Amino acid sequence: MNSNQSRITALIADPLTIAIAASVALLLIGEILSPGFAQGTQIVRLLTVAAILGIVAAGQNIVILGGREGIDLSVGSLISLGAVLAGNMMNGQNSGIPLAVIVAGGIPFLIGLINGIGITFVRIPPLVMTLGMTAVIQGGLVVYSQGVPSGAAAPLLSGFINQPLVFGIPGILFVWVAIAAIMLFVLRRTSFGFAIYAIGSNERAATLVGLPVQLIRTLIYGFSGLFAGLAGVCVIGYTGTSFISVGDQYVLPSVIAVVIGGTSLAGGAGGYLGTMAGAVALTILQSVLITLNLDVWARQVIFGLTLLALMLLYGRQKKLRV
Amino acid sequence: MTNALEAVGITKTFGAVRALTDGRLTVARGEIHALLGANGCGKSTLCKIVAGAVAPTGGTVRMAGADVRFRSPRDAERAGVALFYQELSLIPQLSVCENIFLGRELKNGPFADRKAMKHRANDLIALFDGVCGTGLNADAVVGDLPPDQRQIVEILKVFAQDAKVMIMDEATAALDGRQSQRFFEILKAKKAEGVSTIMISHRLDEVFAVCDRITVMRNGVTITEMDTASTTRETVVHDMVGDVRAAAEKVDFIAGRAPSLTVENAFSASIRGVSLVAYPGEILGLAGLQGQGQSALLKGLFGSDPFTAGSIGFANGAVQIRRPSDAVMNGFAYVSGDRGRDSAFQGRSIFENIVAALMVQKRLKIIWPSQLKPQVNKVAEDLKTKFAGLDMPIGTLSGGNQQKIFIARWLATAPKLLLLDDPTKGIDLGAKADLFALMRQQADAGATIIFYSSEDSEIIDYADRVLVFNGGRISAELKGTDMTSVNITRAAYGDAA
Amino acid sequence: MTMFHLARRQPWLITVLVFVILAIVNTILQPSFVDPTVMRSNLSTFLPLILVAIGQTYVILAGDIDLSVGSIVALVNVVTVTVITLLGGTLGAVFGGLAAGFCVGLLCGLINGFFISGLRFQPIVTTFATGIIFAGLAIWVLPQAGLPVPDAYWQTYTESLLGLPVVLLVLIFGAIFTLVVSRLPFHTRLIAVGGNRTGAFQSGLQLGGLRIGAYMISGAFASFAALCLTGETASGDPLLGASLALSSISAVVLGGTALAGGFGNATGSIVGALVLGMIGNVIFFAGLPFEYQTLVQGLIVLAALAGGVFVTRR
Repeated sequence: MNSNQSRITALIADPLTIAIAASVALLLIGEILSPGFAQGTQIVRLLTVAAILGIVAAGQNIVILGGREGIDLSVGSLISLGAVLAGNMMNGQNSGIPLAVIVAGGIPFLIGLINGIGITFVRIPPLVMTLGMTAVIQGGLVVYSQGVPSGAAAPLLSGFINQPLVFGIPGILFVWVAIAAIMLFVLRRTSFGFAIYAIGSNERAATLVGLPVQLIRTLIYGFSGLFAGLAGVCVIGYTGTSFISVGDQYVLPSVIAVVIGGTSLAGGAGGYLGTMAGAVALTILQSVLITLNLDVWARQVIFGLTLLALMLLYGRQKKLRV
Repeated sequence: MTNALEAVGITKTFGAVRALTDGRLTVARGEIHALLGANGCGKSTLCKIVAGAVAPTGGTVRMAGADVRFRSPRDAERAGVALFYQELSLIPQLSVCENIFLGRELKNGPFADRKAMKHRANDLIALFDGVCGTGLNADAVVGDLPPDQRQIVEILKVFAQDAKVMIMDEATAALDGRQSQRFFEILKAKKAEGVSTIMISHRLDEVFAVCDRITVMRNGVTITEMDTASTTRETVVHDMVGDVRAAAEKVDFIAGRAPSLTVENAFSASIRGVSLVAYPGEILGLAGLQGQGQSALLKGLFGSDPFTAGSIGFANGAVQIRRPSDAVMNGFAYVSGDRGRDSAFQGRSIFENIVAALMVQKRLKIIWPSQLKPQVNKVAEDLKTKFAGLDMPIGTLSGGNQQKIFIARWLATAPKLLLLDDPTKGIDLGAKADLFALMRQQADAGATIIFYSSEDSEIIDYADRVLVFNGGRISAELKGTDMTSVNITRAAYGDAA
Repeated sequence: MTMFHLARRQPWLITVLVFVILAIVNTILQPSFVDPTVMRSNLSTFLPLILVAIGQTYVILAGDIDLSVGSIVALVNVVTVTVITLLGGTLGAVFGGLAAGFCVGLLCGLINGFFISGLRFQPIVTTFATGIIFAGLAIWVLPQAGLPVPDAYWQTYTESLLGLPVVLLVLIFGAIFTLVVSRLPFHTRLIAVGGNRTGAFQSGLQLGGLRIGAYMISGAFASFAALCLTGETASGDPLLGASLALSSISAVVLGGTALAGGFGNATGSIVGALVLGMIGNVIFFAGLPFEYQTLVQGLIVLAALAGGVFVTRR
């Protein structure tokens, strides 16, 4: 009885449960405010938007899990870079898709590795390093695209993201599920995943069992870049064309989605299922706020306050006097 | 005459651990008072309470007869109590002068009066004239100074407060003979001015040379107070030890065996030339007061704090240990007593906490819990660990059971050399017994075990041989019937047994 | 003492050297660089960054960081112009606006300090979050750029007072401020907090007060920067200052302050900010194609950050 009770309490207090409950509640609010909000096609639409955020947040997730104030603020510019590169590789042609995916994933991956090297070996704090990298990528994008990106999405890609593939569900949602499966497998069944949790939970202990802490930390920033680049491909598929700051709007939500999903900002605890739920909840929240006709400023303030409130729950530091 | 300081019935609990049950200390005006006791007897906690750095759970502190209640180190300082911090409170980036006056700067209007402070600092440094070596001046950056000079700065920081009561907790640990000598001369001069000193030291010689009175603590309780002149070393050691323990019959491992581990002339920040051999099947105990080099030796062997000089031989070959992964690949295992800091992957499952070392050693890429769990379960069950399931978070276990998990982590790798760094710190008696049974079992299976314990009784009961550390060196090697608590305590305080 | 030791002890000397070289290169590329009018206009361009960097230094010295400075600048700017307009645009209204802006800056700093020191929040994410809130509030106060300030405001800012350009006076004020603070016990204590937090606590320092104080100085200097920017642009803009967080951190690091805290001084940050500004100038006058300028500047900033962190690491 007692253990059952405590199990139920644990389930109620679980961030994943909270995120799912919040999503449902927000859907209901949306439906009340504007009938039709929770319609099937509308939900698919919301999930499509959530999927792009979810893919970016996958990278943000492992970076935050890895601890030591891990955060990747360069994901926004890396999404833009991925989108612009993919657009140029495809140029509206279906035959360009494979190359687009390779280039738009590969180059952000390499840039992410540079982030990781700066953070691990030069010891620049993650936030400053990735913010500095953002400026460089934005500069690079201006040079590369001469200010106005020229490429366009291939019809096949746009259809894959915007049109139903089977059962009224677009292809991107299947991709998201596949990415989720990979994330869950890596985090739960591979030594790399175990090591990410280990360095995030206790870097000292991880060193003391002989884990290659620096290599792992460098790699996770690389993977964050990879996910951002792939999200960029999705973004251009979703919108058809791109502009050089198209990814900026994903930076803050990617961090919040991870934290809502129960991943601790201190690292070492959390997982991708929660982050997925967080991405969905956040997307619905955004949609509700738009339905409410809330201004940009109010949405921004609500986002900031959400993050502060989450810090109160999960992100406090230790006291000095015992 | 009222006493400078009186502490009566002081108690302190940290979580479930009782550090002090009845701390008592009476220090007269203008005396040097030694506070002695074995590791974990509560002397450091008592000092920190008197200095306002730790809040007491109960009890009264009086200064010059009046009750005082300190909320912070600053409160205590205002009342005239200054504490020397064993873990240095210096700021490496600041100069000697800035450190000495940190938080109590001399001012000229709103500005820091650098000239006056520098003048004062140089006066203070002059106290150690001729013994402090070169390079110690008011403008030197503390981070650039060698350990002995840093310790002198920390001492000067206490002197600068012109306190009525100074607490010197192992203030001479990093000083050489001449520096300590000078330090005691200064204390005697201060005594003449009416300043009292409470001294914690790991050198019994010092205590008998300079202290007027001695308070002995044991297990969180003040046992006796006495005048130094009317007591003997034997009495003091016996009071610290309590019931004298002697080892039971010990097997002589050295006869006819080849050593598995040899360390020659090892140096690091806190060990100064340590050589030793250890044998397969042997449990080698390391004893002495805390921080005398025992942990540093184990960390050096494991590569987490590598030796700066010296050589390590293991299983008939020289080995290079530069980082922990080198040690893991050589079949070494290290279990720390500081579980929270060095071992626990907090928030992760018991399973993950156990397989961490195994996956490094076996270079596993993919982990199938279904394959590993039976094996992991067996190791954990051999240790009589009580847990609801391998998927429960590590934090759901008691301290003792957690420690068993961290030992299981290494047993899963079948280690050839097991380094245990005060592994029983803060765990219950039942768990301790299980742990020692397991150590013996591993030793019988051919592993070499080196274990440091802050509790001498554990060493006497479970080690086959003991090395006692004092000031970064081995001060005695005890075997067979020589392994008594009295001999260990004497060697720990720097007296040859 | 070798060159390397000197560089580690006084890293800002390198920055001064770089500054001199940049000044020479700049003069060669743009001969009018030494012209008083050009210098004045350059200085008024660099001034906001210089001021923000001064404030940022104290936060970083104490081992924290303030990412919200850019948003504070925007918020102070729009509050100032709005208050001036609401009060009727008189001389009194201008002073009212300045006071309101300054108070908003201080308040923002206090809020940051409260969360970080009082509630023990992680500084990076906290100021990231408060920055977003401040920026949102700025848009709320003034949704679109506009609301011109009275002519007297910007004219005074671009003119001279007591025979010296106002911008130069502001710079001198900033420099004197840093020199005065560096002689206060407060400065040593901040370094202690950033250098060894436990040690500082054991030495009896009031960590909470010191850290909140640093954030309030940062807020105050962000408001000075905003008031200068208002003099420069003569109107309000809620999107002002977005890049100031990163560039102020870069200026601080270039000025020889350790990013991890515990070493450095704010006077160096002034030089660091000047160097950053001059790099922009040199890139511009070097005839580099326009589209390369942000990239080159970004790379230089990143390289400087990496180099600075490397040299001041201890």
